[in-house]
Order: sequence, then structure tokens, then C-alpha cells
Amino acid sequence: MSTDARVLPPARPAPRGILRSLLLTLPILIWSLVMFFHPGANTKLLSRIAAAITVLFMTALFFMMMRTRNTYRWRRIFFVSLGVFFPVGFIYNLILMRGSMGIPIEEMIAGRTPFCFMPIPMLILPAALTRTLIFPGSIGSSNHGIAAMVALWLALTLVMGKGWCSYACFFGGIEEGVAAIPQRARIRKIDPRWRYIPWAVLLSMVLLSLALFEPAYCMWLCPFKAVTEYVAARNALGLVQNVIFILLFAGLVIVLPFLTKKRTQCSFFCPFGAFQSIFNKISIFEMKIDMERCKPCLVCQNACPNVSLSKESIARGETLLSCMKCGACVDACPRHAVVWHIKGTEIAWKPERARLMFLYAAWAMAVMFGGSIIAQGIATILHFIG
Amino acid sequence: MAVFASCGEALILGLASGPACIAACGPVLVPSLLIERAGMKPHARYLSVFLAARLLGYLLFAMVAWELGTLASMLPAPRMLMMGAVYVLLAGVLFWYAYSAGRSCAHSCADSKLVSIGENRKRGIAGAAVLGFLTGLNLCPPFIAAGIRAAQLGSMAAALLFFAVFSLGTSVWFVPFISLCRISRNQAMMTVARMAMVIIALYYLALGIAILFGKNVYVY
Repeated sequence: MSTDARVLPPARPAPRGILRSLLLTLPILIWSLVMFFHPGANTKLLSRIAAAITVLFMTALFFMMMRTRNTYRWRRIFFVSLGVFFPVGFIYNLILMRGSMGIPIEEMIAGRTPFCFMPIPMLILPAALTRTLIFPGSIGSSNHGIAAMVALWLALTLVMGKGWCSYACFFGGIEEGVAAIPQRARIRKIDPRWRYIPWAVLLSMVLLSLALFEPAYCMWLCPFKAVTEYVAARNALGLVQNVIFILLFAGLVIVLPFLTKKRTQCSFFCPFGAFQSIFNKISIFEMKIDMERCKPCLVCQNACPNVSLSKESIARGETLLSCMKCGACVDACPRHAVVWHIKGTEIAWKPERARLMFLYAAWAMAVMFGGSIIAQGIATILHFIG
Repeated sequence: MAVFASCGEALILGLASGPACIAACGPVLVPSLLIERAGMKPHARYLSVFLAARLLGYLLFAMVAWELGTLASMLPAPRMLMMGAVYVLLAGVLFWYAYSAGRSCAHSCADSKLVSIGENRKRGIAGAAVLGFLTGLNLCPPFIAAGIRAAQLGSMAAALLFFAVFSLGTSVWFVPFISLCRISRNQAMMTVARMAMVIIALYYLALGIAILFGKNVYVY
């Protein structure tokens, strides 16, 4: 930590030129067009309109990231949109196919449950020990097939580590949106031991899933069952399950994010997030703190939506393992001490280049994964309007 | 000769059922092992106590069931009742264990004694023994399979021997758990293990109560 009289960098970096920003955005525009208008894409008029809106939306956000050099603000717009549009398209599809958001036991036995990435860590041990897949879904016969989802997740995770939680997760956007509403946090002091809960939930759910041969988290603890598909309650136990889902959703996704301005479900509960943290060890991208520039004002710590910075980690010049690479700390630091970093390079080595490399990977994934979900949501809304 | 054949059969059944056994015992065993001090010796000691108590639970259950003549023909209703009761008991012990572990010096002091449940270390009971005993009473599928086979033997002694050898066969699968001693222990690990123990206890409690009340998520 330097106390010398070094000249502070400007409060905000100068915006990049429009032409240069456009040039940097061009690959994303091409990627988006390929993703949404490739031969074989849906040719229905509403789907085409939704796809066009999505391409414009994703490209415009990336352009603004390039132009302003600010990541978090524009990413958040995408991420909150993803969180809002996901239930819209998903619920519409459920009602279309099944007539209800409730999943009856017959559908589960028939393996017609749409797969989500949350139970991935719970599937590994039963699959390894008994070659049994404990999730009641199809393995490859539909768009939501387990094999496709797992392969996609693995490829993206190896590159981005826990960046998945900021650019691909279709659940986190809701709480990020709620956390953005209040001006100030009502609860500011958060016991750091709360950060251990996701690891405890992960450990217990992995072990219980193996013991009971059911995706224990999905059966009892997933807060997002409240806005996707719930258990069709036909007895008191089913009712209890749904009450748990609703209470967890209300508490962790609505009330606590509003009071703390943090992504509380992601920070203090999500077992998949804890599992994903492990891959931060593999990913080549990370956040670093340039100790030459850092005057530990803790602005970055307060800005972090995931409680991934502590005084100790700042003193070490790094974030905690749970960092989601959302860029909030980089954008908030008044001395530009927090930087995007590629492992194996000097800390201050061209941080903007590291940011660009990360963002190309992350935004390509965001377009492919989140973009299609947003397009589906927009198409659903257009369907109802039209 | 028949005894040898029976023992061989029990051993093979135990070895074959091992994965199911470690799956069933995992939620109890892993967090409680992570609470103990790091090092081969404490882990080996913990596992020895746990497995010995589990064997005791097996034998006690087999003896009582043999006497009552219900080793193989236990009706689903009382079987479920027993499972529900064991789950509730396990939940209670896990809560107590997690609380006691917070007061013990498992990771910070030089004392190599196991975490004990109770007010203080002199009066407390070794947590490994209680958990091992209760998992021994838990009617997991391999245990039921062994019970059905043991019931076909001629005497109680033969049935108990069958269970003992079966338990030995399954115990081989528990040896890799000693590798958990390689995971370094610190405050974070202790806290995570204790929290996981509480979550598992809550799960078992809910499961136990549901079973006792005859409710099942999958049956309507």
C-alpha cells in the first residue's frame, strides 16, 4: 500500500471513441446474428422480432461497456432482464405443455422435468458410485436435455470459473434487481461467517442426495421453485415443500437483497455458487488489487454484491474464492486499483486487455445462453400483446 | 463347511453393498469426521469407534429381531416406524454434536480425544459411538438384504456371525474416509462442517416426522 504522493488517476476513465467502440462490438454483433438468425432458426414472425430485439439489446449493452469502460452497470441491465424474462418464457411454456406450474409425480417418474444446472453437483457422486442419474429428467431427447446442459456448463465454467453466476445464471437477476432498488442498505454489518452457509448447504445436499437418491436441494430447498415449477401439492408434505420454497424465495431473493443491497441468495445460500467457486481456481481470469495504488478505503468491499472482498483479502491483493467477476469492484474503485487480471501475468499488465478478453468470452456466453432466454421471454410477451 | 460358506457369502454381500452403505452413512460420517482434528490417527480412531458401534447396532437389532421372530418378516408399518424413530434420534444427536463441537478444542488444541457429546469432556459420550450405533440401527437396503439372508440360517449365533462378517465386508469401503484427514482444519472448515451437520439434522428430522406420520413425497 503506497502512501506516497502518486498522482491519482482520473475519477472516471475517458470514454473510448465511438468508432473504436463499434469496432470492438462488431464480433459480438456477428456472434449474435449467427446465434439468432442461423439457418434453421425459428422463422415465426414473433420469434424473429424477439430475436432482433435481443440482438440489438445485447449488442447495445456491449457497445456501452466498450464505450464507457464500465462493466457492472451494463451487465446488470442484462442480468436483471434475464432474471425477469426467464420466468415469463418458462412459465408460459409449462402452462402450454402441462397446463400448470405444478409438476405432478407422474411427470417426474416419466423423466419430463426440465433440467436446470442447480443439481449438477448433487448428480456427480450417485453417478460415479452407482451409474444412476438421480434427476428425473431426460438425458438428451429435448432442448432441456441433461447431457447438453452439463456439457455447456462444463465448457463455460472451465473458462470463466464463477463468472457463470454473473453472466449465465437465470436466477440471480431477480435478486440483483431487487438489491438495486434501495438507495442505501438498511443492514450493513453482515457476520462474515454467513459466507460459509453455501458450502455447508453444498456439503449437506451432496451427501443427502447420495444417501436418499433424490436431488435433495430441488426437493426441499430451491427458492426458485416459487417462480418456476413447484411440486404439485397433493398432501400435507407437498404443501410444506411449497411453503419452504416460497419462504426461502421471499426471504433470500426479495427481503434480504432489499435490506442489504447484496445478492443474498447467491452469497449466503446457493450451493451451486459454492461449487462454482472451486472452478475459480482453474479459470485464467481473476480480479486483483494493485497494492501500489490501493489505499484501503473499502469502497470495493461495499460495492461487491456478493460479499467476496474482506479486509484480509484486500490486504492480500485479491478477492475471495467466491468472486463472481461481475466487475462492480473494478468500476467502484476511485484509484483504479482493482483490475481484471489474467493468471500468470503481472498484476498491472494491460488490465483493459484482460477485461476485454474476459468480456468477449462472457458476453458470447451471455448471448448464447441468456440471450435465447430473453428472446423467448420477449416472444411470449409479444404473443400476448399481439 | 456351512459356516465358512455362510461367512463367505456374508463377506461378499458386505463388499457388494459397500457403496450403498457409505451412501447411507455419508451424511452422518463426513461432517462429523471433518469436525475432528486433522491427522491419520484421530481419523482412524474415529472410524474404528464408529464402525464398532455400528456393528453393535447391527448385532443388537439382529438379536432382538431374531428373538421376536421378525428378522425377515418385519411388516412395512413397524419397519417404517423404526426408520422414522431412528431418523428423529439421529437428528437430535447431530444437533447436539454440532453444539458440542463448538465447545470442544477439536482443531486447535493438542488433545487427540474425539469430540464428545455432553456438558464436558469427562462426562460426555464419544460422538462417533452414538452416531455409529444409530446408523447401525438404521434400516438401510443392504442391512435389510443381510437381515433376510441371516433369517434363513439355523441359529441366532449363525445369524449374528453372518451380520458380523457382513459388517466387516462393508467396513472396507469406509477406509477411504481416512483420506479426509488430508483436508486441513481451520475455523472455516469447522464452521462449514457444523452448519452442514445442522442442515442434515433438520433434513433427518423432517424425514423422520414425515415417516412417523405416514407421509411420503412420492406417494399420494
